Amino acid sequence: MIEQARGTRRLAAVDRAGRKLGLFVGQKATDAAAIAPELVTAEAEPEADAQALSALTDWCVRFSPAVAADDPDGLFLDISGVAHLWGGEARLLADFQARLTANGLAFRAAIADTPGAAWALAHYGQDGAIAEPGRQISLLAPLPPAALRLAPETAAQIDRLGLKALAQLFVIPRAPLARRFGIETLTRIDQALGRSKEALSFRRPPNPWFARLAFAEPISTPEDMARVAFDVAAKLCRRLETEGQGARRFELCFHRLDGHVAPLTVGLSLAARDPARIAKLFAPKLETIDPGFGIEVVTLEATEVEPVSGRQARLDSLLEATSAEGLAPLIDRLVNRLGEDRVWKARAVESHVPEQSAVPGPPMAAPLAGWDPERPRPLRLFRRPEPLEFVSAPVPDDPPLQFRWRGQLHRVRRAEGPERIGEEWWRGAIDEVRTDHIRDYYRVEDEAGGRFWLFRAGLYAEGVAPKWWLHGLFA
Amino acid sequence: MSGFRDERLAALKAKIATLEAGGRGDSESLPFGDPRLDDCFLGGGLPLGCWHEFGGEGLEAETAACPAGFAALMAAPLARRGEAVWILRRDDLFAPGLVGLGFPAERLIQVCARDEAEALAVAEDALSTPGVAAVFAEVEAVSLTAGRRLQLACEKRGATGFIIRRRPYGGKAKAGAGSAAASRWRVAPAASEPEPGEFGLGPPRWAVTLERCRGGRTGAWLFEAGDAFTYEASDGTHPLRLVAPLGDLQLAPAQPLRRAG
Repeated sequence: MIEQARGTRRLAAVDRAGRKLGLFVGQKATDAAAIAPELVTAEAEPEADAQALSALTDWCVRFSPAVAADDPDGLFLDISGVAHLWGGEARLLADFQARLTANGLAFRAAIADTPGAAWALAHYGQDGAIAEPGRQISLLAPLPPAALRLAPETAAQIDRLGLKALAQLFVIPRAPLARRFGIETLTRIDQALGRSKEALSFRRPPNPWFARLAFAEPISTPEDMARVAFDVAAKLCRRLETEGQGARRFELCFHRLDGHVAPLTVGLSLAARDPARIAKLFAPKLETIDPGFGIEVVTLEATEVEPVSGRQARLDSLLEATSAEGLAPLIDRLVNRLGEDRVWKARAVESHVPEQSAVPGPPMAAPLAGWDPERPRPLRLFRRPEPLEFVSAPVPDDPPLQFRWRGQLHRVRRAEGPERIGEEWWRGAIDEVRTDHIRDYYRVEDEAGGRFWLFRAGLYAEGVAPKWWLHGLFA
Repeated sequence: MSGFRDERLAALKAKIATLEAGGRGDSESLPFGDPRLDDCFLGGGLPLGCWHEFGGEGLEAETAACPAGFAALMAAPLARRGEAVWILRRDDLFAPGLVGLGFPAERLIQVCARDEAEALAVAEDALSTPGVAAVFAEVEAVSLTAGRRLQLACEKRGATGFIIRRRPYGGKAKAGAGSAAASRWRVAPAASEPEPGEFGLGPPRWAVTLERCRGGRTGAWLFEAGDAFTYEASDGTHPLRLVAPLGDLQLAPAQPLRRAG
């Protein structure tokens, strides 16, 4: 293989027979031809290599869903939690090797805890090595420093200083190591030994729901951006419609002239394919996009695609739309403007702890009744109960006669209770269950008619002043 | 002669009502089922397709528990008809409490807005959405412009707005501007009366003043939530029960008395 580099034709790859003849990567093509006149050369095709690698990446999904390509010639497979499907890591590796060999590929493979260690073992260690969990350091120790995926200059410098094995590097204190060989060396060591995390860019399956518009002249005005948002949505929605699909999430990307990509996402509560509606949801977000010197390409990607029953535009369109039809766009507008956690529908939870009995649920969920209307619950429930002062409750287990809240004294005229609510002991550890967590709730009415929900924390005990809290207000 | 005049007057009044309802001929109303109350309104019940304002005083100006409960019960028949949206600034509304009062809170969509302007904008958006019957919004005050915008949004689809005035904790009361509300209610808690022979608290009661009512009369009454915390709810009657009119002497009489000379 020959590649053109800086005006010289050099060898980019050499096969086994060539290496025996003394050829090496980076050698000038003319020198190589002098050593071996019968040398058969071919032009290097990096694009074809990249394509083949990405095809191989797709193929490797049969082993693990998380596959990352390591350009130009490597692959990372995250096999956490999948090895048992083959009956262990060794058998997984054997199957992997057998299938790749059957395809006529030359390769080396290794399994380790971290991508860094696996890379080092595959490139410089024994082929097919499997590092046991937490034991990779002993396998890494005899490898040369280049196994750390360092820049060639750094690796060469380490080598020149006589550090021939990683074991020698591992014992050097961190600070001098970083000072001498750069912070990258330290990072790579940490990544190999699992002391720091490494992000792999896992393969993303190509999304078929994708539309793209390119412009002859770059655009930058907000009006143009709004118009192209509609146009690209119309393009994608036409395809969605012919296949009877709708999507719940759309990502609109503006590709600027200088290579920046500004993505915007909107989510929908019901799958839809109406371009006007989708463009409308993007409209308020467009002003956050800085067009820079101009936008040359806009792309729209639809995810969470699901079938949508086609609905014919009704003849009697003057009639009011059904409530679900009108509500879904409203929810979408609100969720996209305010955020997902700010629009909700209360959902009943089987819990007698008041603050846990109603939790925010998705706003388009079907209504479910679940709360007992006979049990008095306040209209306003404070997230944190507020402490009460000057509570006079002379009789144990009786409601207080008066209390002070927010600087105002309230005399109790009528009271109901107690309703004893204990903690849900089955949810936590048994040793954490204490009687202090029991709350005795009273519903009281003061002389002005204000209705309060207060509780005493813990059981009544002789000589101990009980603590009183206000948890909510009734209408 | 006078019959002719009455007829013309009635025709003119109907014309004005049509104009006020934004071109929709039949402005709907929701009767309370009690003539003492329904007669105060032009259409014989709470007018729909416009917005109403609820507020309290003292502690209730900050917590707004009673105004919210009263407004929820007033709108409960509407909430069964279509969707209901409740816009909050503090998310301390507790759905089980609303259910206990007799409001179908399991269908209620709650929205927490970040500031006053956003709350009003969301209210406007919700009011003009098809399928939404009632919109509640807890805001500090509604300016004349905002009120007019809310009214226009109400007229689009005939939805009804229930604006609950609530100021932030420790905040200062804003000067109440003249508002464009169709009616303005002041709600204060009132001592409950349990049934004879029963202990504890009776159904919640409120002392309510109708301070302003477009095209109608004002008044003050004592209300009771008839269905609160019982299972036998929603038998078709209005969940608010008028207990007694309150003799509030500060209010001007509905019709100026003409003394016979």
